[in-house]
Amino acid sequence: MSDIACEISDLKKSFGPNQVLRGISMKLPSGQVSVLMGANGAGKSTLVKVLCGVQKSDSGDVKLFGSPFKPKSPIEAYKYGVITVHQSINDGVIPDLDVTSNLLLDSLAQPGKQFLLKRSEMKARATEIAKSIGFKGDLDTVVARLGIADRQMIAIARAVACNPKLLILDEPTSSLSAIEAKRLFEVIEKLKREGVAILYISHRMSDIRAIADRILAMRDGRISGEFEGEDLDYEGAVTAMLGKKMSDFNVDISEVSSPVLQLCDLRLSKDSKPLDITVSRGEVLVITGLLGSGKSLLSSILFGLEKPAYGQILLEGLNFEPNSPANAIASGVHMSPKDRANNAIVGDFDIEANLTLPFTKFFSNFGFIDKKRQRVDCSDMIDTMGIVCQGGKDSIGTLSGGNQQKVIVGRWLLKTCKLLILDEPFQGVDIKARRDIGTHIRATSNNRATLVFVSEIDEAVEIADRIIVLHEKAVVGEHVNKNIDLPELLSQVSGNSNTLKQAESLQ
Amino acid sequence: MKQIKVKVISLIGFTLSAFGLATTSFAADMPAPFDNAGDVKIALVRFLSTGDFFQAYLGGVESQAEALGVDLRVFDSRQDAALQADMVDQAITLGVDGIIIQHGLTESMKDAAQRAVEAGIKVVAFDVNVENTSIPQVEQSDYLLGKLALEQALKDNGNTFKAGYVYVPGIAPLDRRNVAWEETLAANSGIEEAAVFGTLDNPIANSIANQARSVLQANPDITVMFAPYDEFAKGVKIAVDEAGLTDQVDIYSADVSTADISAMLEPGSAWVATVATNPAVVGEVSVRSLAIMLAGGDPGASVIVPPTLITQSFLSEQGIKNMGDLGAKMPQFQHADVAMTDWMPLPAR
Amino acid sequence: MNKDILREFAIRFGFILLAGLLVLFFSFFASGFAGPRSAVFIFQSVAITGILALGVTCTLVVDGFDLSIGSVATSALMLSAYMMVVLEQSAFVAVMACLLMGAVVGLVNGLLIVKMRVPDLLATLGMMFLLIGLQRIPTEGRSISTGMRLPGGQVADGTFAEGFLWLGRHRIDLFLEKLIPVPVIIFLFISVLIWVFLEKTRHGRLMYAIGSNERAAALAGTNVFGYKILAYMISGITASIGGILLAARLGRGDIASGNNLLLDSVAAALIGFAVLGAAKPNAFGTAIGALFVGILLQGLTMMNAPYYTQDFVKGAVLVVALIFTFALSSRVRGGNH
Repeated sequence: MSDIACEISDLKKSFGPNQVLRGISMKLPSGQVSVLMGANGAGKSTLVKVLCGVQKSDSGDVKLFGSPFKPKSPIEAYKYGVITVHQSINDGVIPDLDVTSNLLLDSLAQPGKQFLLKRSEMKARATEIAKSIGFKGDLDTVVARLGIADRQMIAIARAVACNPKLLILDEPTSSLSAIEAKRLFEVIEKLKREGVAILYISHRMSDIRAIADRILAMRDGRISGEFEGEDLDYEGAVTAMLGKKMSDFNVDISEVSSPVLQLCDLRLSKDSKPLDITVSRGEVLVITGLLGSGKSLLSSILFGLEKPAYGQILLEGLNFEPNSPANAIASGVHMSPKDRANNAIVGDFDIEANLTLPFTKFFSNFGFIDKKRQRVDCSDMIDTMGIVCQGGKDSIGTLSGGNQQKVIVGRWLLKTCKLLILDEPFQGVDIKARRDIGTHIRATSNNRATLVFVSEIDEAVEIADRIIVLHEKAVVGEHVNKNIDLPELLSQVSGNSNTLKQAESLQ
Repeated sequence: MKQIKVKVISLIGFTLSAFGLATTSFAADMPAPFDNAGDVKIALVRFLSTGDFFQAYLGGVESQAEALGVDLRVFDSRQDAALQADMVDQAITLGVDGIIIQHGLTESMKDAAQRAVEAGIKVVAFDVNVENTSIPQVEQSDYLLGKLALEQALKDNGNTFKAGYVYVPGIAPLDRRNVAWEETLAANSGIEEAAVFGTLDNPIANSIANQARSVLQANPDITVMFAPYDEFAKGVKIAVDEAGLTDQVDIYSADVSTADISAMLEPGSAWVATVATNPAVVGEVSVRSLAIMLAGGDPGASVIVPPTLITQSFLSEQGIKNMGDLGAKMPQFQHADVAMTDWMPLPAR
Repeated sequence: MNKDILREFAIRFGFILLAGLLVLFFSFFASGFAGPRSAVFIFQSVAITGILALGVTCTLVVDGFDLSIGSVATSALMLSAYMMVVLEQSAFVAVMACLLMGAVVGLVNGLLIVKMRVPDLLATLGMMFLLIGLQRIPTEGRSISTGMRLPGGQVADGTFAEGFLWLGRHRIDLFLEKLIPVPVIIFLFISVLIWVFLEKTRHGRLMYAIGSNERAAALAGTNVFGYKILAYMISGITASIGGILLAARLGRGDIASGNNLLLDSVAAALIGFAVLGAAKPNAFGTAIGALFVGILLQGLTMMNAPYYTQDFVKGAVLVVALIFTFALSSRVRGGNH
């Protein structure tokens, strides 16, 4: 039990001026589950990438069973028995192949493997693996036809089949149901008994409670807390991860005037509970929740991309049923979507053209673009958002992620609106850019209602007047952003609000 | 590949022809098996079918078959060499008495033709060499097409002039016409070959016009253009008109169509002469050759349909405006006195 | 640093410089190459493919592709001939019918791609075959010219209207008598029109946005479907204009597949990527690309180069242009991100 599978000492990594890992030291013992907790941007994924050979560290040592370990590629890490299941499920499966081939993919990719595939042999091996993780589906099904949970299980099974010595699981339960998660935990228990060291990245309290032997809290590129022993201090871990117990009272709650957006008995899907949410002028409302909590669906509905199952939406008291983004924009609803690379950035364009994209009509006369007006308004926006660039004619590709995000948020602030929706506005943004964007959103929020969707609660408390927690398409918590009990908020997000209370009472 | 194939085909299409004789005599008594002509079945197995030439050829075959009163079946393989061979076998199974093979590849048709002969079927081949001594070849003379046009050029311009020549090697009919050009060059040292150019890029006339413009720009003193394919001649004419050299340059070509006639007749047109065989006549000759064989005769190993010279002055003097007029005013274009017997009925004109 | 500046210069001006050097070279070595008439002729030889290429450029801008332009052009060629020779309509009616045909084909292409979700290459490939066949049905595969025999047996008496032929053949006096042919003027006019549309109007910008990131454009409220259909309609209309000019130059309705028109114009549009280091479809580049090929072919023909060198040269130009576009410029861009 006390064997140290992997020892990391003083690991550092920066991207340009941005220090992501500021000296990480940790030990991962064999036969134990070490849970790594950390807010977005704490450096978790960079740490994983270094361990699995995708990126190289700047300094520091990693030792695997006492010998130095510096993988140059994922294949090398794989050879040493360091297997990673990434958060993005699509990295773990090949949709066009069947389940059998996916499960055996790693052994198929081995050099020196025989040229022809023996179907019966493959099938027998795949059946064995599938059984070990309790996958009950048809092994001949093409993975593209499976649901997201099954895909995730297959990705995990694939990793388990490689006989790992150190298994890294990055948010493995994010798309699994409770039953599937339980199955996963059984597999993890089995691996533990076999002496595999497991690094489990999550901040789902239910997961952590179920399997953690140790908790490592990570914050701003450092290990901010290490918890071991019989009774794990979950609350202490959350505090170490967020850096504070209570939300600091650094947000001046805005004066609220007339309601702008009202959701009346709105059901996101047929079997979900109705939502009644009001956002008023001058208010910044943050809606938070896990993947699948209904956040994305709600933002899509408000921007005309989806239809609600039942219920009514009122915009300034009038019925609001947008049928396209263009329609929503015309009604005065602006939305900055999540995942800027896919949904927002026009890579071939300069900053000005990216900023003005939704409002070309305002920046043109009889269809001809008014370059002067565009330049003036854009350079104002570049200044107020603090976009670091040489000028509005810079290609968007030359900007850092944070500055790109400022452009994308700034795009929707260029014109006034009734309701501004920001879906994950801090995604992939460093802490400074995050503060800049948050400050600007609050500074301009007086004349509109602002609705922000985020999944990280520390982001939420930075900008919100009020926070609503969604879980399984229903409101499970509502907080005015003043001395919020963060562990409670976090447990509401994970859907078991009593867990922490119980943990406390046990102590 | 397909591109090239289509191009070659369309080119070959325009280059084939035949000629004729105008009067029609109905022979009352035809020898066996034509005494009971309705029971005689013949098949036309085609490799090429798209385009003016093939349309006209088919027309000729149909009208001659009708005049004989035989039952004609048309098989069209649409440039599929393998299918064409299969179609010969189909015709054999169908129990036809005679087969006309129209174009095709020697390699694919040789064996099929032999099978037909072995089955006791009479076979003639048009413009394809099936390497079989019992199968007569019907052909037009590409060499003569070139030769006649060049003789006219020498007659009009003397034997000292600067010439441009449109030629794309590797296309069989053009290669045969090229022989006439090389002979003429060798025999007349006064002819200077200032430029050789050519392309088969579709639309051919447009591409040739672009090239010919460049050639005329580089060699503004060219007086004769030899363009032995009417698409070439059309392109050269456009370029000559555009360069304003209509009075200086004379164009000699091969093949003819209604559109070609109107181009030649435009006021001051540089296109002064063309040489052609009438595809309909070639079709008639093909059927007649087969009929002679069915009646037990021998049309000869090679049935050559001679070409006719058509000059601009002849067209304008006779007031010829289209192919119909041409046939009427130029009997040798309407009928070729080839593969004729005293009993042979001719199509009604 | 110096190397970077040099590379930047090579990417921006390399291609135009190359064109200039070629002109110099041919002026020395091909007698009669230098001169206004020769220059005008280069324009004339590329006018029709250039017009088609400008249409392709619009579809490339929205990240689409139109394989049907060649057959749209030859269909317009046949349709205009049919309208005038067989139906004995006026030049105006013939031109309008062709433009309408082009617009409808573009609309159908667009609807297939946008509404039926058929991939662009496949939809327009289907349309290409459809049109190659369709244009031959009314005449049973025969070319159309005055005096032709129709399938019904009667003779077509109509002629190409003077006004129509004027479009393809008339030359306008400019300093020299009868210098500039009408197709060249139409080509230049359409070039400027498409250039202004793509570069100066919000519609063009939104089309570029769609081509670069369709989802982002849609989420910014852009009518993605509408602009895509518009791009294919522009492509169809320009192709039909090309076909009209072709018919006016040839003076008859020749059956042809138009595949060479397609390939030449696509090549021009792709060469255009390299001009001024744009690395994207653009109207100015397309026009220059077409001219570049025209200069080369004119020069080579005047130097008596054999016909088969032409395709080789076109291919070489295209490959060099693509290297300029993708290898060199992506290195500069890639350095930043």
